[in-house]
Amino acid sequence: MSWLAKMAGLAEVPVFVAFGEGAPADAASVLAKTPGLRVVETPRAAAVLLVVGTIPEALIPQLHRLHDQLPHPRASALWHSRNELPGATRIEEIAKISVLLRAIHRDLLVGSLKTEPDFLPDAPPNEWRGIGPHGQGGKGMMGGTPFGRPMAMTAADLRDGLELDAYTADFGPFLPMLPPGLVLTLTLQGDMIQNVAVAHPPFETQEQRGWVLLNLLGLPALAERMLRATNIGNATLKRLIRLSGARAAIPEGLGRTHDGSDVRTRFDLLTGTSEPIFTLHVQQTGLDDLLIGLEWHEAMLVLNSFDNASLRAICANTSVPEPDAMAGGMDHGVHAGHMS
Amino acid sequence: MSVALTLMIMLVFMTAGMLIASVLDTFFYRWLAGRAGGSLLTPLYAAAAEVSRQRISTEAPDRMNWFLSISGFLTLGAIGLAVVPLGPESAVIGLETSVVLWGACESLVVVLVFLHGWSPNSPLALIGAYRYVAIGLPIMLLSMFVLIAAALPAESLDLRAIVTSQEDLWNVIRQPLGLPLFILLGLSLTLRGPLDYADSADLAGGTSIEDSGANRAGWQVARMSMLVGFSAVAASAFLGGYLGPVLPGVVWLAFKTLTIMIVIIALSHLLARMPVARMLGLIWKVLLPIAFLDLLLAGLVALA
Repeated sequence: MSWLAKMAGLAEVPVFVAFGEGAPADAASVLAKTPGLRVVETPRAAAVLLVVGTIPEALIPQLHRLHDQLPHPRASALWHSRNELPGATRIEEIAKISVLLRAIHRDLLVGSLKTEPDFLPDAPPNEWRGIGPHGQGGKGMMGGTPFGRPMAMTAADLRDGLELDAYTADFGPFLPMLPPGLVLTLTLQGDMIQNVAVAHPPFETQEQRGWVLLNLLGLPALAERMLRATNIGNATLKRLIRLSGARAAIPEGLGRTHDGSDVRTRFDLLTGTSEPIFTLHVQQTGLDDLLIGLEWHEAMLVLNSFDNASLRAICANTSVPEPDAMAGGMDHGVHAGHMS
Repeated sequence: MSVALTLMIMLVFMTAGMLIASVLDTFFYRWLAGRAGGSLLTPLYAAAAEVSRQRISTEAPDRMNWFLSISGFLTLGAIGLAVVPLGPESAVIGLETSVVLWGACESLVVVLVFLHGWSPNSPLALIGAYRYVAIGLPIMLLSMFVLIAAALPAESLDLRAIVTSQEDLWNVIRQPLGLPLFILLGLSLTLRGPLDYADSADLAGGTSIEDSGANRAGWQVARMSMLVGFSAVAASAFLGGYLGPVLPGVVWLAFKTLTIMIVIIALSHLLARMPVARMLGLIWKVLLPIAFLDLLLAGLVALA
């Protein structure tokens, strides 16, 4: 064994987690408390893909694509999952997860465990449909859907009508800043959301997303502290959240719903920094009402400020946009989008 | 001090600085997260694991600029340290306009971070790149004001002269607004905490979302090199650099650099990041006027 492999074997195991249906509500908390593991935010940084819960059949192609995004040497594991992944280790007892994944990581590094091959061919997912020699397919060097993936095309900016590049793509279902299972078809201009459609609603779960909000606000250590805390009302945690200025960082009125609550008030509830003073009503609210016109960071804060049942209701209320409204013409059947 | 010796001291300073910064960062994160234990060598093990993994390329990337962004960022951090005097008349790059050279490095960081987000041909990385430019440009103005203010008592743009001018009184006392504003620039240059608009969690890593293997390790090392380079410049411009009694100058510089690094690391874990439009409002409407006030006061003192 080389000195590099020896050193690497002592590192925390970088794990990318794909949450599916039926994942335990406290799965993120359990993983945060597991010694020797480090949950990473992109599959490119991971050595192990951990599937928690069951990924429905319709999203299996996305799971395969996600798997293939991990660098070699890589392995996968299943926990509370009815899925089948060739070569994946099934975790039966959570108490053994640390030992098991550390052993897998070490074996991968020294070569005694073979890296998992790709599930999909390393080729574009669709035939080329562009016109020009470099994949362009619309007007001039822009637009069109070469390889089934729409390229940016100029469209009027919502705020001032300026003609800028609008880009449509699917995002999800395994992006860590989106609730698990949620796939959104977004038209973006820069980082501003021009249009939104729900391609797949989030999975049902009892998980609270307060820790995700902290992470999105640039406070990963406090997010982990919240996951590790035995009770949400932990006084030190509350004090640290207040001192961080997290509440002030959230724009007032962001993501306001018909009940008058906004991201700030919902953040207070989710992080235990205030008592419930309202009942969430989202009957008439859709994602199009909430997200269009917001920049990316704000949109992610809004999405994670709702409990799962409310977000699923909001997704159901979301209007289906006119086909022409989604610049580039998204091809859902064949293109799985980003980090899927 | 000979050039070769100065260069060697600088390299040792940079290497030790990066190691200490990585350990401090890990330690502070774990302490704040309520996670006990863990080896001090955790960052080294993580780096070894990173370089043991494959360096994946995306579809149709800009490979040359991908490499250039990482190596360039690392180099800019080193240039930052090279303009810092390690003792009297002993900077590796001893220019009469060293503050201007450092200003150019700050501006090039914006270019290189943009290239890092541009090169993988990936939308979330590109959003991180554009967003960083939006924040980086006004932050550079802020830096310009406070650095010119720091240079006024020395009547020179040479960092060596700026250090010498603090023999009687450090700039942090003479210009109390300067260092806090300059530290905000540091948070932006090192892509940390409240000013990390390039590699943030809402973009699943932003410009580094597609980095794997040696590229990922290289980018993290480059960020650490910028942290060391920036902290040494801040220590020299505001805390008197190598000046201090009894101990050798380079030891004093190391202590002061370490102090700035600890402040930046702590702030990056303790302060929340606001959405970009809100931050832009804060910079243009509040921080830039304060920076201008700092310059105005320094100018009036210089004229008095």
